[in-house]
Order: sequence, then C-alpha cells, then structure tokens
Amino acid sequence: MNRSARLSRLLLALPAYGLIALLVGVPAVGSLYLSFHKWKLASFQNGVPFVGTDNYTAALGDPAFLHSIWLTLGFTLAALVVELVLGTLLALLLDRELRGGGTMRAMALLPMFVTNVVIGLIFRILLSYDFGVVNWFSSLFGLGPVPWLGDPKLAFWTLVLVDAWNTTSFVALLVLAGLRALPREPLEAAEVDGAGAFARFRYVIFPLLQPVIGVAALWRTIDLFRIFDVVFSLTGGGPSDATETASVFVYRHALGPLNLGLASAMSFIILFVLVLLLGTEAYLLRRRT
Amino acid sequence: MIARRLTSIFTYLLVGIFIFPIAWLVLTSLKPGNSTFVVPPVFFFTPTLDHYAEALSRGDFASSLVHSIIVSSTATLFGIAAAVPAAYIISTSSPRWRRVLRVGALLPQLLPPIVLVVPLFLEFRMLAITDTLYGLSFAYLTITIPVSTWVLVPFLDDLPVELQEAALVDGATPFTIVRRVILPLIRPGIVAAAAISILYTWNEFFYALILTGRDAKTATVSVVSFMTVKEMDWGRISAAGILVLLPVLVFALFAQRHLTRGLVSGSVK
Repeated sequence: MNRSARLSRLLLALPAYGLIALLVGVPAVGSLYLSFHKWKLASFQNGVPFVGTDNYTAALGDPAFLHSIWLTLGFTLAALVVELVLGTLLALLLDRELRGGGTMRAMALLPMFVTNVVIGLIFRILLSYDFGVVNWFSSLFGLGPVPWLGDPKLAFWTLVLVDAWNTTSFVALLVLAGLRALPREPLEAAEVDGAGAFARFRYVIFPLLQPVIGVAALWRTIDLFRIFDVVFSLTGGGPSDATETASVFVYRHALGPLNLGLASAMSFIILFVLVLLLGTEAYLLRRRT
Repeated sequence: MIARRLTSIFTYLLVGIFIFPIAWLVLTSLKPGNSTFVVPPVFFFTPTLDHYAEALSRGDFASSLVHSIIVSSTATLFGIAAAVPAAYIISTSSPRWRRVLRVGALLPQLLPPIVLVVPLFLEFRMLAITDTLYGLSFAYLTITIPVSTWVLVPFLDDLPVELQEAALVDGATPFTIVRRVILPLIRPGIVAAAAISILYTWNEFFYALILTGRDAKTATVSVVSFMTVKEMDWGRISAAGILVLLPVLVFALFAQRHLTRGLVSGSVK
C-alpha cells in the first residue's frame, strides 16, 4: 500500500475514532482523574485537591453502595437466566409452522423496542396495588392483592420480570436467527433415529445453539448491569433500597449531590465488577464450547 | 396432532401476554376521564382523545417531542456519516487490526454510561453546551457511531472483494471507492443502521436526564417528569407515554425487517 492510500485510509477512519476518543477517551481519563480528587459543589471553586484513594475507600466502606453492587449482580444473574430460558423457548415456539406466524413473530419482538421509561409507566399502571388490572385479575381467583412494587423482596422479582418482558424478545431474535442457520442433516438424522422433540432439542439443537446463546448472554449482561431507566421510572430504587441498582445508587447519592470525585470512583468500581463478570462468563463459555 | 395444537395455542397465549402491556397502555390512554383507573377495569368504552390534547398542551411536552426528533435525527445522520468510512476501513483491514478497530468502535457501548457521564457533564459545562440540542446530539454519537459501525461491517464484508480491487486498479482513491462503489451497494445496511440509531436515541433517557435541563429536555425526560408530579393523572401520563411510544411502534412494525437484520448481524457476526 502506498503512502497516499495509507493516509486516506487514516482520514476515513478519523471521524469515527476521533469522535470516540473525544467522547469516551477524554471523559474516561477525566473520570479517572476525578476519582483521585475531591470535587464537591461546595468546594470546587477553591480547587480540586488530590486525595489519593480516599474516594475509593469511602465508596468501598459504604455498606449502602456495596449493597447496590450485590443487588445489581443478583439482578443481572437472575434476569439473565430468566431471559435466556424464556427467549430460547419463545424462539423455538416461533420457529414452528404456525398460522399467522409472521404476524406473531412481529408482535412478539415488539417489547424489545419499547422505550425504557414507558416500560416503567406501563407496569406501574398494570401492577398498581389498588387499581391495577393484574391484581383485579388475581382477585377473580380469590387471591388477595399482591404488593408487586410495595414489598421489598417482591419488588426485586417484579423488576426481574419486567426486564424479562422487555428483553426476552432480544434473546429470542438472536436464537431465532441461530435456529434458521442450523444445518439440516443432524436434525433429520435424529428424526430418522426416532428422537422425540425433547431429545432432539437436548442433544442436537441446544449444543449447536450454544454459541448464539453465549453471545446473547454477553450482550444481555452488559445491558443488565447498567440498568437505570426502568428502575428509575418503575420503582425509583425503592421500596427503601430494595431495587436501588448500582447506577441508580450513584445517581442518587453521588452524582445528584454533585460529589463528582466519589461518583467517579464508584463508577470505576462498577466497571471493574462488570469486567470481572464478563470475564467469568466468557471463560465459562469458552470452556463449554 | 393434539400436542401440536396445544403448542400452537400456547404460542398464541404467550405472544398475547407479551403484547398485553402495550395494548393496555393504549386502552388506558383512550379511556374517558372517569374510567381510566377504576376497579373493576373498564373494557368497553367510547374512546376519547382528551388525554392526548391535555398532554400536548401541558407545559413543554410538545416541544420535548420536537427536541427528541431533532436530537435523534441529528445524531443518526452524523453517526452514519462517520460510521460508513470507519466500517469500510474495518472491513478491509488485516485480521489483527480488524479486531482492535471493531472493539474500539464498540467501546462507547461497552462502558456503562455512568462511567462516562460524570466527566462528560463537566466537559459540557466547560464547553457551555449543557442543556443544548447540539450538545445532546453530540453525546448521542456515543450510541449512533458504535451501533452503526457494528451493523455496517457485516454488510461490507458481504461485498465481493473483486469489486474493490477493480476500483483500485482503475486508480480510484479510497475516498472515491467509499463514495462511488461502497455507498450505493450497502444501502440496506445504512437503512438498518439508521433505523436502530433512531430507535436507540429516541428511547435514551440517562444522558438526557443529566445533560439537559429546561431548554433541551427530550420526550423521555418529559414523560418521567409527568410521573413524579404529586397528583398523578394516569390518563394524561398514558397519553404522553403513547405519544413517545407511537413512533417506536410504527417504526418497529414497518422497519422490523431492517431492524432485526441489523441487530442480528451486528450482534452475532
């Protein structure tokens, strides 16, 4: 490749990577800098002194912050399992021959596109303790009203279910594409050998699908771990701190009060945990396939 | 045979459950004032657009919708303009560079927004672009550039190599190749990238919440501010929610082929 061609290749790549450097590189370095400094609304005009690892020790010494990290981890894993299982099931169902299959697929994929804050709104209406249609429906079967969002333990699982409603279709979409790309021969061979539907799935389809499910798992983990919008609009992190995930915690207790040094340190701790989680998942996936 | 039937019925039921929440919001937004939120719920009523009129006339909701349109189309346009040449470079790089460049392009989407937003907030204040439409559009490039690049690369990979080699032999520069040869051929990819970019930026809430205030408020922030008002009028809130959701639903149904194709090729390949 001659020099001018190389130069023009560089110029072609420049807009995208230059902007990414500006929008990600600069802030990332800035955030790292801030995390070792004291930046508070009351004091920043008099300087931003270097405080060493004070922000990190403050964050790690705050049980409420640690609680939000554990909560986020638990939520991510619980939602991940539910979404992968349901998504695969949905994909298998939609892949069959079905009257109105095209319409069904289009409808089933809708929830993944729904605006996150509107999801919070929708489920606050559906799950309202006094007036929600869900509690009315359960009362028809003699079940008392369920405090979906009012009981701390239950609110966590409600959040998991709401997120599952939202993103199961994303998993289904990827698995559906995976199913369509499956080689025909092993399946036909299994059928000839008299394997039932379950055996075919367990021993033929599932192993072939594993890479796709693995990719879906990694994408979902990245997305679940940052959850903010749905929590913010559905529960606001409550009741008390039962659904206060890490991002919501930082927003409420460090970013909101404009303690930016602490907020930066916390966000790096969150990133560190996410990287650990993704690394573990990638390792487990590689070992299986 | 019976098992097949039952499975089909189960599928319809499941899809019904998936669709029901959206349908219920539509119903709630159309109910007359006295029957929006009652027990037992009202299923049959004369639909009214009153709540929509209320929502649109309320405060800055209508202008926030306009803001969302401006911001998401601006960010999409510039995002794609930057992503097309970048995707071309990725697609024609050596395998090692390809990996580096692909992950690099995706970086803004891999990092949790909370990591970026704190210094971005300060950066925006220094540049005095907080609470402006172009400021938010600029921030949304962290969504549109990665998403578009990832959607476009597989489309570029599918193009025959001979095509570019022929152009190179003819003495065309990489610029001309991108503009004259590549651009017309990856139109479906661009449509997919645009569809996903518009959808993601339209739905975005976190950056909008932190980087805008009164002047550049977007529709998602507006809807949430409706919900935190002490006295909640669920009819009006539902109507506002539907106004935000309607473009998404129309888009998701009509552009679904492009959306799903882009999402699948961008995620799996």
